[in-house]
Amino acid sequence: MIGKSKGTFVVAVGLGFGLSLCRSFPAGAQSSEDKAQVCTGCHGQEGKPIDKTIPVIWGQQAGYLYIQLRDFKRNDRKSEVMQPIVASMERQDMMDIAEYFAKKPWPDLGQPRASKDVSDRALSANHSIGCTGCHLDHFQGDGTVPRLAGQSREYLEKTTADFRTRARGNNPGMSDLMIATSPDDLAALSEYLSGL
Amino acid sequence: MGRNMNRVSIVYAALCGFAGLLTAAASAQEVKQETKSASGHAAVSPVTQEQLNTADKNATNFLLTNGNYAQTRFHPAKQINRDNVKKLHVAWIFQTDVKESLETSPIVVDGVMYVTTSFSHVYALDAKTGVQLWHYNHKMGPITTYCCGPNNRGVQILGDLVYVATLDSKLVALNAKTGDVVWKTDIADPEAGYSETMAPTVIKDKVLIGTNGGEYGVRGFVKAYDAKTGKLLWTFNTVPENSVGVWATKDATGRDMHRNIQAEKDQLAKTGDPYQKLGGGVWQNPAVDLATNRIYFVVGNPSPDLDGSIRPGDNLYTDSLVSLDLDTGKYACHFQYIAHDVWDLDAVSPPVLVDVKGKDGKTIPGVIHAGKTGHVYVHDRKDCSLIRFSEAMVPQENMWVLPTKEGARMLPGANGGVEWSPIATDPAQSLAYAINLHQPMNYFVENSPYPNGKLWLGGAFKAIPTEAQAGNITAVDYNTGKIKWQVKTPEPMIGGILATAGGLVFTGEGNGKFAAYNSSDGKELWNFRAGAGVNAPPSSYMVGGKQYIVVGAGGNTQVDFHRGNNIIAFSLD
Repeated sequence: MIGKSKGTFVVAVGLGFGLSLCRSFPAGAQSSEDKAQVCTGCHGQEGKPIDKTIPVIWGQQAGYLYIQLRDFKRNDRKSEVMQPIVASMERQDMMDIAEYFAKKPWPDLGQPRASKDVSDRALSANHSIGCTGCHLDHFQGDGTVPRLAGQSREYLEKTTADFRTRARGNNPGMSDLMIATSPDDLAALSEYLSGL
Repeated sequence: MGRNMNRVSIVYAALCGFAGLLTAAASAQEVKQETKSASGHAAVSPVTQEQLNTADKNATNFLLTNGNYAQTRFHPAKQINRDNVKKLHVAWIFQTDVKESLETSPIVVDGVMYVTTSFSHVYALDAKTGVQLWHYNHKMGPITTYCCGPNNRGVQILGDLVYVATLDSKLVALNAKTGDVVWKTDIADPEAGYSETMAPTVIKDKVLIGTNGGEYGVRGFVKAYDAKTGKLLWTFNTVPENSVGVWATKDATGRDMHRNIQAEKDQLAKTGDPYQKLGGGVWQNPAVDLATNRIYFVVGNPSPDLDGSIRPGDNLYTDSLVSLDLDTGKYACHFQYIAHDVWDLDAVSPPVLVDVKGKDGKTIPGVIHAGKTGHVYVHDRKDCSLIRFSEAMVPQENMWVLPTKEGARMLPGANGGVEWSPIATDPAQSLAYAINLHQPMNYFVENSPYPNGKLWLGGAFKAIPTEAQAGNITAVDYNTGKIKWQVKTPEPMIGGILATAGGLVFTGEGNGKFAAYNSSDGKELWNFRAGAGVNAPPSSYMVGGKQYIVVGAGGNTQVDFHRGNNIIAFSLD
């Protein structure tokens, strides 16, 4: 059964990110693994996303993953790729998928450590705005707050920019904080966090 | 739950096994979900209401989060005093399994200590040796939504039950001897922004608990639960359906807050009373007046923190002292410090009941609160009215400039003044001891609609990197409002303070320093370097005729002080 599901939901890789790339959520999927298969086409079979602007979800906080799926379904967070996938998901499906990926090991994307200058700038920005007040020590996240350490740099750059313009609209508090932080500081933070 | 937690659970499962530990529980399903190590058994007698009522006179135990129902944080033990405190040394160190922000107030009952850590763990320890007796590892739900760290500030005990409120907004009663779950109840929905970090207050078979969530658009409350069953008895919404108030234009100290009342009235006509998402968290314990059967607590900021345009009115009872009838939860009186707050300079530090001099100089029952503004406010307990406010304990500049899109500088910064840190008092000297932060900040405003339980700040408060931060310990005479003494510290202060009958106050700093000061003049008499931020309130107790001082050294998430996981007890030779 699992093998069949895998065969059904393996997604073609390397064709770009059109809607055609990602399949819809399978009706009747029972196990968490079945339910999660739809995600692997973009987020990676072994946890390494197929594109750097796609976030790592292996090892991510379960509460955060659930809230993002919920928000995609509510259209609070917009994505032409994600919305059709989550459309038929129920709350328990989202919880199961979130728990499934949260238990996976965080992948090493091989991103380099930031230089001392960049790190100092990032830590100064953190000191000002208080990222670790929610993302916690070492930027590991907890509950509905995501881990940032080791996340893809390009994804971090994109999503902080989207928060800044409110193109990502599902956390206005984050938007407010990103707007109060200069683009140069955000660039330093993205580089620093990706190298942790 | 973090990865570290999972590892801890596995270790306990492997070392201790489960079968022998999971006995006598109310619900088999609940027990299966918890892990608990039991290297011993906490031999404690049930704590009676009479013991709790007289905790202020009990030099042996430390029974309530702030020492006693009046919350004086004045401990009557005096074996450790100004003359011998220089000989104070470490008696034992207990390392918890959680290296994250530590805000616990150790509770001590007949030689057994109860402490909590971030992520709502509870430990029972031998107070003489630091040996672990049991450990309750709460299985956290996947959804937690909290501000300012995964903190827990402690437990309270009544009878043979230990009460703890958890980050995923549950109230749990544990067997004081074994740590087994006796009952558990949901307080509120964490997905809507509710969480718990405060210690419950237990009084006359009621468990009183507030809520966090002022940064998430909750409607705050204080709830009372039946201590034996967990059944909800009453709820007081900290934001009434009519939250508009009197359109106050000045704060408690008489300064203009630059409100645009007409714009607010226009907004009110358009969108109505904003009470349902107006915040008003209660972060810290109520004080209980046993003579009048009334409780006194303070209510936190309105939501969103910095954007007042979408929440017209005074936003009652945010930023207020509130008093209720204990039995019914009915409103008795309130006093609002800042109406329509747009700086998050709210009321968090727990109020204290002491006799004070009224305006006419006669001694009356009073209640005092140290604000983020940096003032100690002194009230008449009867009607909550303000008698006086102290000199400012921290620099105040540009108050009350309104937040702007570009950022407007104002002091104090949004953490205070006095944050959640409890104050201590020494009624014989009519002194209140407060620890303060000094963090110059710019205040930014942004506008966005209610985000369904997400962070909702309505802007940002941003520390100014080029301006130095600092802190202080300040003794205020609450009968005059004058500062008696002040000790400057190199970093902002957050955690708490304890006064003792030995003429001492004890408090810690984010840099790991824990020190004793002469309570009359602030002279430093002893210090110790803990290796991690000492950002928790100290307690005092006695075992075997020996007095101990105990404090957590685990750093702090909110101000990002160096993390650790130590509970450290000190005694004399």
